[in-house]
Amino acid sequence: MLIYSLLSGVLFGLYFSLIGLGLNLVFGVMRIVNLAHGDFLMLGAYCAFWMYTLFGVDPVYAIPVAFVLFALIGLPLYYALVPRLLAARDPEMLSIILFFGLSQVIEALSTIAFGTSEQSIPGSELGRSLRAFVGWLAGHDIESGPIEVFGQSFPSAWVMSAIASLVAVAFVYFYLYRTRTGYLTRAVMSRRDEALATGIDVHRISAIAFGIGIALASIGGVFAPFMLGSITPAMGVDATVTSFAVIVVGSLGSPLGTVLGGLVYGVSYMLVQTYLSSWANLLPYLLLIGILLVRPSGLLGKRVRLA
Amino acid sequence: MAPVTAAFAILPSVYSNHLLLFNFVVFLTLAQGVNVIYGFTGYLPFGYVGFFGAGAYGFSLLVMHLHAPPVLALGAAGVSAVALGLLLTPLLRLSGAYFSIANLAASLAVLHFISNPNLEPITRGPYGVSLSGVFNPDLAYSIAVAVMAFALIVVVYLRNSRFGLALQAVREDAVSAASAGVDVVRVRVYAWLISSVIAGFAGGVYAWYVSVFYPETVFGSDYSIFAIVFALFGGVSTIIGPIVGVVLLYGVYNFIGFSTPQYFQLIYGALIILLVLFLPQGLISFVKRRGVDVP
Amino acid sequence: MNHALVALGALASAALCPVPVACAADAPSEIRIGHLYASAGRFASISMPVHYALKLWIDQKNADGGVFVKGFGKKIPIKLVDYDDQSNTSTAATLYNQLITQDKVDILIADSGSVLTSVAVPIARDHKVMLVDPTGTGAAFFSPDNPWIALMADPVSTVWPKPVADWVSQEGPRLGIKKLAILYSTNEFTGTQANAARKFIKESGAPIEIVFDQGVPTETSNYTVLINNIRAANPDMVLHFGYAPNDIAFLRNLADSGVKFKGLFCIYPGLETDLIEKNVGEKGLQYVMTYVTSNDLAYKVDFGMDLPRFRDAWSKKYPDGKVEFGFNSIAGYTTGLVLEKALGDMASLDQGELRRAIFAQSGKLKTLDGTFGLDETGGQIGELTPLGQFTPDEHGHLKLNAIYPQDTATGKPVYPRP
Repeated sequence: MLIYSLLSGVLFGLYFSLIGLGLNLVFGVMRIVNLAHGDFLMLGAYCAFWMYTLFGVDPVYAIPVAFVLFALIGLPLYYALVPRLLAARDPEMLSIILFFGLSQVIEALSTIAFGTSEQSIPGSELGRSLRAFVGWLAGHDIESGPIEVFGQSFPSAWVMSAIASLVAVAFVYFYLYRTRTGYLTRAVMSRRDEALATGIDVHRISAIAFGIGIALASIGGVFAPFMLGSITPAMGVDATVTSFAVIVVGSLGSPLGTVLGGLVYGVSYMLVQTYLSSWANLLPYLLLIGILLVRPSGLLGKRVRLA
Repeated sequence: MAPVTAAFAILPSVYSNHLLLFNFVVFLTLAQGVNVIYGFTGYLPFGYVGFFGAGAYGFSLLVMHLHAPPVLALGAAGVSAVALGLLLTPLLRLSGAYFSIANLAASLAVLHFISNPNLEPITRGPYGVSLSGVFNPDLAYSIAVAVMAFALIVVVYLRNSRFGLALQAVREDAVSAASAGVDVVRVRVYAWLISSVIAGFAGGVYAWYVSVFYPETVFGSDYSIFAIVFALFGGVSTIIGPIVGVVLLYGVYNFIGFSTPQYFQLIYGALIILLVLFLPQGLISFVKRRGVDVP
Repeated sequence: MNHALVALGALASAALCPVPVACAADAPSEIRIGHLYASAGRFASISMPVHYALKLWIDQKNADGGVFVKGFGKKIPIKLVDYDDQSNTSTAATLYNQLITQDKVDILIADSGSVLTSVAVPIARDHKVMLVDPTGTGAAFFSPDNPWIALMADPVSTVWPKPVADWVSQEGPRLGIKKLAILYSTNEFTGTQANAARKFIKESGAPIEIVFDQGVPTETSNYTVLINNIRAANPDMVLHFGYAPNDIAFLRNLADSGVKFKGLFCIYPGLETDLIEKNVGEKGLQYVMTYVTSNDLAYKVDFGMDLPRFRDAWSKKYPDGKVEFGFNSIAGYTTGLVLEKALGDMASLDQGELRRAIFAQSGKLKTLDGTFGLDETGGQIGELTPLGQFTPDEHGHLKLNAIYPQDTATGKPVYPRP
């Protein structure tokens, strides 16, 4: 039971990292709190759901579609909301309220469009085409079903989402450390005012980061019907809170920190669920507060504390 | 301040949807509580409802287990909110969004703690509180109005005292306030506790008034968000701002509710976005910009 | 509030709202029924069917000239006054007050769903108005010192699990059920059922050991680790008490992880069969035990339409299928039937008289929802929910059989599952 919980914690924790990754990027670059993060995850989930329901598309293909679609939505959304917000006196605080409003609008429109009842995609559909391909290579059919990891069997969706999460982390790393825009993004992250002074187009850099941020959320959403039971328009709030716990536990600005945060969160969640199940939902909040208060400020960036 | 209190003291005799009036009074109180902490110190309490819920449960525990008279139990509501406030003072070390997120997390932690089934013998866990012996909505309403008056007096005091000035100085620039001899940590903690006791009283009187509720009812994040949005809409760090905010915005909210509730959430969300983008300083800033001094 | 204020209020209201007080002997031109529903939010899916069913009943009665009230000796048409609370409790509270104080309704029907009903309980009590509660089962609502509530269409949460607990303790040992696992979501509706089931089984003295007994937060959306832990305890039967999303997640995770328990009980497959089947698939529901509601059992009726006729009337009135027919639609219609029967017995539209007339139907009224029965606190103890099981028929389609108690059984239990 202990080993199973630990391994589950690692796999599920990687999924949590995927959920938190985009939020981390947005907060790191813009210092704004995207309370609608979970709602973009929800939209990503419906994107996969409708692609499957209408055209029978394997949700794996929904990943690139959702990524491009939401990155494109993110750019104009950034220009519509953020520059005006940053001009106000206290943008960090006001962003909480602004994005809460956005979250309400998204949830309301989704409720009107999708209805309130739970939806999902059958578990065997995720990676159906991958299985067919592997089966073709191997010369025999591959059954859908649990996958063995270190002698324990886990739902295949867990393994696939963990892999997707690692790929996404690698992508963000590559973007930040191996591209020119990424280099500028890091400059904006560390010193926004100086970046502005040196002539960097801060808004363009931020808009791209914002687009990538919500695109990553939508990828997390593609796996949601498999990882979170079922999807409804109201699911965004829980996802947002979880994401915050993950990125705060890890460190802001660094994708590796988010992985760490996800793993810590996932493993401790599964352990509590196993040994003290009814307290499981207290954990993320205590972890979040505890880490915020105890963790040395270095890991969390310089501006965490005041007074 | 006197006219508002008087108005809500008299209104029940001319308008019989007392619960609507009661909700107005509760939100007027909470909006002033948010005003104390956000308007005067700059900390945005996204989990403000934690104090409200703590008050409601403080009240209920005393009534359920000790059969205390309601007025005494209200004292317990204030005490439990202040106790929670004290427990959370370390959060004040955090700045900006970190404080808000940690505060939100704290309120959710308290919710999940109280509603844990292992605590059923004490808090009734997730099964909800039912206070039957003390039910007296008329008296509870009058006390609610008194609590609101208390909150108003606090804000009037902050507007016109050295303490209030010190707070605003800290909000604008903590370092220079400290060098001018203000004990930064202490004034912040005081404001934080005052704001928590206001919400605690409001929660206690709410528990008394409704007498049957679930943990989710008194810890619903709607309360925090409504109170913040109302206060911001009117304009914080004034006395009138939050009042105007509640009366206008909560009025509109109920009007939509009675007439066409189809697009409730949508209209509300859109309103919040527009508010932040175009009126970040609140309605009062309109008047202020024209050189009128607003109390 | 002090006396001067009250006196002032009386004066002011006399001056401002000169409402003519109807003489009791005069028949009113209409009976005003006040009702809340939730078109959006968490409770929309259980609230809307109740609302639609009530509208169906009212339209049917009004087409017939109204409902007969004994005291006036004739039929009186019904006027429905309804608001949408959007699943928000504080909005609901305000609207309940609106119905009582501004619209002055004769009969107050709560929104279904315990959380939305809960706010109405003290308000109705305060105004000494009878709260007609269609399906809100919260144990806290019913107490000897509050006479102003009655539960219409489903039993209180403590009564729901009686049949499943009885089956486990009486038939279980013979079938080889020795070890039992209980997993529940920690909220009022499902937590109370788990507690009641545990108590029934322990008190029965049956040789059954509870090897796993855990509550998990209602927000739990992944059960894989829990399923593994339950499997490690090696139970012969698993009882899962959760809301519909919990059941969906649990049953899906069960299918995805390839674990099969010998026997499994869940609440919602029987209550919201269409929803669960859509999300879990027919295969995931095979041999699952659940409650059989009046949606699947054709009770013999003394009053009102029976199940097939009601279903016909429903599909005729709501052909677009946007609100699904299910247990909650029956609950709404049953609420109407109880009121119809009570009105036929009432001397006036006074609230005390309404209470007397509703309680007078206890044990006497047989509708498509079973036998209406109230205890002294207004809790429903008739209208039971037998144990059922989904078994595949010869074409592989699922069929829900009632399996216990014997007198309502339509099939034999299949245990252990093949």
